Amino acid sequence: MTKQQEAPSTSTAGVSTINYAMAINHAMAEEMRRDSRVWLLGQDVGRMGGVFGVTRGLLDEFGPLRVRDTAINETFIVGAAAGAAMTGTIPIAELQFADFLLIAGDEIFGKLAKWRYMHGGQLSLPAVVRVPTGLLGGVGAEHSQSLEVFCMHVPGLKVVLPSNAADAKGLLKTAIRDPNPVMFFEHKGLYRVKGEVPDDPEFLVPFGVAAIRRRGDALTVVATGMMVDRSLAAAELLASEGHEVEVIDPRTLVPLDMDTILESVQRTGRAMIVHEAVRTAGAGAEIASRINEELFFALDAPVWRLGAIDTPIPQDPELEQLCIPQVAGIAKAMRGLIAL
Amino acid sequence: MVTSAGRKGPSAARDKTSGESSRAVQLYAMVARIRAAELALQRHIADHGFGGFWHPGLGQEGVQAGAVAGLRSDDYMFLAHRGLGYALAKGMSMESLLGDLFGRTIGSTGGKGGGTVHFCNPELGVLGQGGTLGSSFVLGAGAAISGQMLGTDRVCAIFFGDGASSRGTWHEAALQASVWKLPIVWVCENNGWAVSARFSEQSPTENIADRASAYGVPGVIVDGQDALAVYEAVSEAVVRARSGLGPTLVEAKTLRIRGHYEGDRQKYRDDIVLGLEVPRDPIDLLRRDVPADVADQLDEAARLEVENAFTLVLASPRPDPSIIFKDVWT
Repeated sequence: MTKQQEAPSTSTAGVSTINYAMAINHAMAEEMRRDSRVWLLGQDVGRMGGVFGVTRGLLDEFGPLRVRDTAINETFIVGAAAGAAMTGTIPIAELQFADFLLIAGDEIFGKLAKWRYMHGGQLSLPAVVRVPTGLLGGVGAEHSQSLEVFCMHVPGLKVVLPSNAADAKGLLKTAIRDPNPVMFFEHKGLYRVKGEVPDDPEFLVPFGVAAIRRRGDALTVVATGMMVDRSLAAAELLASEGHEVEVIDPRTLVPLDMDTILESVQRTGRAMIVHEAVRTAGAGAEIASRINEELFFALDAPVWRLGAIDTPIPQDPELEQLCIPQVAGIAKAMRGLIAL
Repeated sequence: MVTSAGRKGPSAARDKTSGESSRAVQLYAMVARIRAAELALQRHIADHGFGGFWHPGLGQEGVQAGAVAGLRSDDYMFLAHRGLGYALAKGMSMESLLGDLFGRTIGSTGGKGGGTVHFCNPELGVLGQGGTLGSSFVLGAGAAISGQMLGTDRVCAIFFGDGASSRGTWHEAALQASVWKLPIVWVCENNGWAVSARFSEQSPTENIADRASAYGVPGVIVDGQDALAVYEAVSEAVVRARSGLGPTLVEAKTLRIRGHYEGDRQKYRDDIVLGLEVPRDPIDLLRRDVPADVADQLDEAARLEVENAFTLVLASPRPDPSIIFKDVWT
């Protein structure tokens, strides 16, 4: 019996209550069982089971050729994944922190994103790069960033940000089956959050289909990652004050389901984007621009954005939370925007 | 087993009585084709200019032909940027390579090329060339892993220059590939110059192969002007890689005749006479082992092949602008 099977879970009618980390673990294990070309590499992903415990049990089940512990070499991890992807296998590369994607910048932005295009479509790059993103609590400026917009900015990469356990599993399975390179941003603060996750090995969450997490008519909030739950909590506060806020989780930034967002904003007349990434030139700027371009005359107020302030993240766990949107702050912004 | 850098000299392949003389003829044929293309491109650029940069490989044909001859047709290969010899030797057609250089649909990338491009033919194992020099080290390791995982005995050859050997990608790939005993042959064309920087100003050791022992792999130095010697050294490394013993670093000592790019006036150089003269010409070395009439015929055939390919390629269409939107996604 593998460690992952021993992990605590409750199961009823094809649904297990497991945490986000274990949902990701199950997605990898299921896909590795389904397709022998799928393999995993990264620092400490084997014997240790990953710095966040996400890959526990995989070495035992799949062996050292398919679960490869690397040295400290992010450039190698992603570069080898790119080279392997173009030669017929399906690598899942794990970087220990999303911040490290810049160490593999050329391999992500130069190779994964471009090599199919440059070579006239002769190569395919079905690689997944898993990167733990966001605040964890005291891990400092070089281990706390939300850099997904870098990947959104460079054409050729799909960009995924699951906000809950079920989506984490279903989106990762879709990512592994996608013939294109996928940047998969797992929120470190969500790893231990449990949710109901379908057991069905064919449970897939499609890319480019936003989830409407909450219905409302007063305001549309587009939130990603950790900010989805915070926006939902803020929306509950607003509901107690008589305002129903719609909360949309795009789930993937590339492809981006603007149809669902625009349909919602058309109804509510107000829109706000909330993300943990720095507000300046974040994904929210892009989404806000597209809303303005498409729906200017349907808007009752300007499109607002909430995001991290323009500073590095301080190491102190209390100070770091002051840098990113909080439930109270989101609720205050919701009130302000509805009042305009 | 770890061996320190050792020099390889010519041996069996040069012995005409062993029946290996045909190897010399084969190599001569390939070197002649590469040379003919190099000279024709040089003339064309001088007369007509070029839509980009061409990094000539004149004088390095012996390394490229010799090394690729040591590979199997289905082995993987990442090119370096100096010339088209690697891809031609791996089996790509003259028309497809010139088609890439001139941005025509007949090129292997279907018109995405133009200037120094990224020749590609996965069926022949030609996987491209890192536009960021040195990036092929890590990509090649990945191809070697695929070969291992898919149960094939394919080897991956990675070409690079002395300049690219300074990249951190080399260090990361060499360490990990050696630990995992990946089926890799690193072929360094040490031509002594990284654009305007002398090798001696960038390396504390005389040879790149001296670094091999630090990574626990054999380092082999070979005369890069001697195609037969390169062929032998690479063949031995390929056997080692294919049998699961891991990577080998082969350093071929060669020289850069032309500028970093065609048109580079090389004011920073004082080590060669600028012009067409090729010191220690790989063609002259091979001619010692090839009958003169055979060599002359091969020269003429190569000249004609290149002439015809130029005519065909320059008359073939440029891509439709809609190609811009193609192949971003699978």
